[in-house]
Amino acid sequence: MSGDAPEARVRRRWRNLLGLLRRPKPVVGATPADVVYRENKMELLRYRARPEGVAYRTPVVMVPSMINRHYVLDLRPGGSFVEYLVSQGHDVYMVVWGVPTAEDRHLTFDDVCDGYLGRAIRFAARASARKRAHVLGYCMGGTMSAIHASVRPDPIATLATLAAPVRFHDEALLSQWASMPSFDVGAMVDAMGNAPAALLQATFLMQRPTMSLAKFAGLVDRAWDDEWLDAYLALETWANDNVPLPGEAFRRYITDLYQREGLLEGSFALSGVPVRLENLRMPLLAVTFEHDLIVPAKSAAELVERAGSAEKERLHLLGGHVGAVVSRKAAQGLWSKLSKWWAAHDADAVALTAEAPPEAPSAAPAEVPSLAPSEVTENVTASEPPAASTGDEKPRTKGTARDSKAPRSAARKR
Amino acid sequence: MSTWDLWKKGFDVWEDATAKYVEQWLRSPATLVPAGSLFTAAMKTKAAGDRAVAAVWSAMGLPTRRDQERELHALNQIQSRLADLEEALAEMKAAQSGSPKP
Repeated sequence: MSGDAPEARVRRRWRNLLGLLRRPKPVVGATPADVVYRENKMELLRYRARPEGVAYRTPVVMVPSMINRHYVLDLRPGGSFVEYLVSQGHDVYMVVWGVPTAEDRHLTFDDVCDGYLGRAIRFAARASARKRAHVLGYCMGGTMSAIHASVRPDPIATLATLAAPVRFHDEALLSQWASMPSFDVGAMVDAMGNAPAALLQATFLMQRPTMSLAKFAGLVDRAWDDEWLDAYLALETWANDNVPLPGEAFRRYITDLYQREGLLEGSFALSGVPVRLENLRMPLLAVTFEHDLIVPAKSAAELVERAGSAEKERLHLLGGHVGAVVSRKAAQGLWSKLSKWWAAHDADAVALTAEAPPEAPSAAPAEVPSLAPSEVTENVTASEPPAASTGDEKPRTKGTARDSKAPRSAARKR
Repeated sequence: MSTWDLWKKGFDVWEDATAKYVEQWLRSPATLVPAGSLFTAAMKTKAAGDRAVAAVWSAMGLPTRRDQERELHALNQIQSRLADLEEALAEMKAAQSGSPKP
């Protein structure tokens, strides 16, 4: 389609723009799944395995942010991270936080991060052959996963985080606003109960106030491309589908993490147990994004420096907070790398069928994916000093970036 | 280059420059401090209004919205405790039967 004549593009552009309202609503979060556990508004989804069955003994539990809907990780058929993982033979679970209602203003951070999240992870672990689960946290979900894993590590095989903030005092607008002395989060929670979705949405929009205009101009510019348009509409559906945040959990998240930097200062506790990121011992992969306005790369990379894991790695990718996770390139980049990383950390892979696709984990299970020049990983073993600077975001080639001697357990056919 | 492409290039330059300018403005204490104070004052006013209404309801012996929220939350807490108990029981059963710890 990119080879179309300019006149054809113009015609298609106007036809698509004029037909926007008649265009079918984008199908989002459509990968077949069953609700296997439910508690208050929270649900745990288990995605149905591919026809050949699952290929690994360790399930993947996805923990999205509480501020947005979970289906950013299962955006649309043909462009879904979950769908991709299922096709690769992973047993995938998703924590769906649901929409808090008025009474959930009393839900504390401990209720959510220790109670709900813990029971969801343990449920998935219990149902698996290995009795452990890989945990993937995205954004706020990544921070919560790291906090939980440092206090309750038992059922967690590995921890992967996508753009999960750990250092909250950074240059992002979000951090500046939240730590502003004249902003009294307590007064807001007392008045509103839950943090309203509209307020959270406005906060994100104000990260780049001209973004709505730019999006509109981009829409007109690319409207000739049907595939792009479908992806755009699906993403916009998600971006405008915010949910409120439980009041007490929000209060603690802002005061203890954003304002007091409790996670790095060591003053943060989960259900009374001090949270020490140094206590993280499982293999760790922290993914950061170069153009992330919401969670600057430095803020997310701090987890790798602080964690006590013998095997820890940072994967730095081009792209923004959301785009890098849902874009077309993600299938070849991020999704594939995560799938192979989990494959390499699956202690006992079960047999794959002979017709496994070339990308299937059995084809190259033990190798962590090689990196394009635009990406950086920093593998840090216990014997190596931590990365000198998290701000080192210049692209490096794989030869210089990947020199880890950390042992990797090989997935094997049964 | 078509007229649209030219316009789009110009728009991108304008958008980038404007975003940087507005971002500076949004970071400035001259904006943040009064905005934060105004927001906090509005929230405190709303909370005071809600408390006054709740006091009237309570004086009539009626449950307030906050009372109902507390009751529902208590039910949710009980559900969570039951889930914990079920887990603990399953663990004990597994230990007794000699199967691996769930």
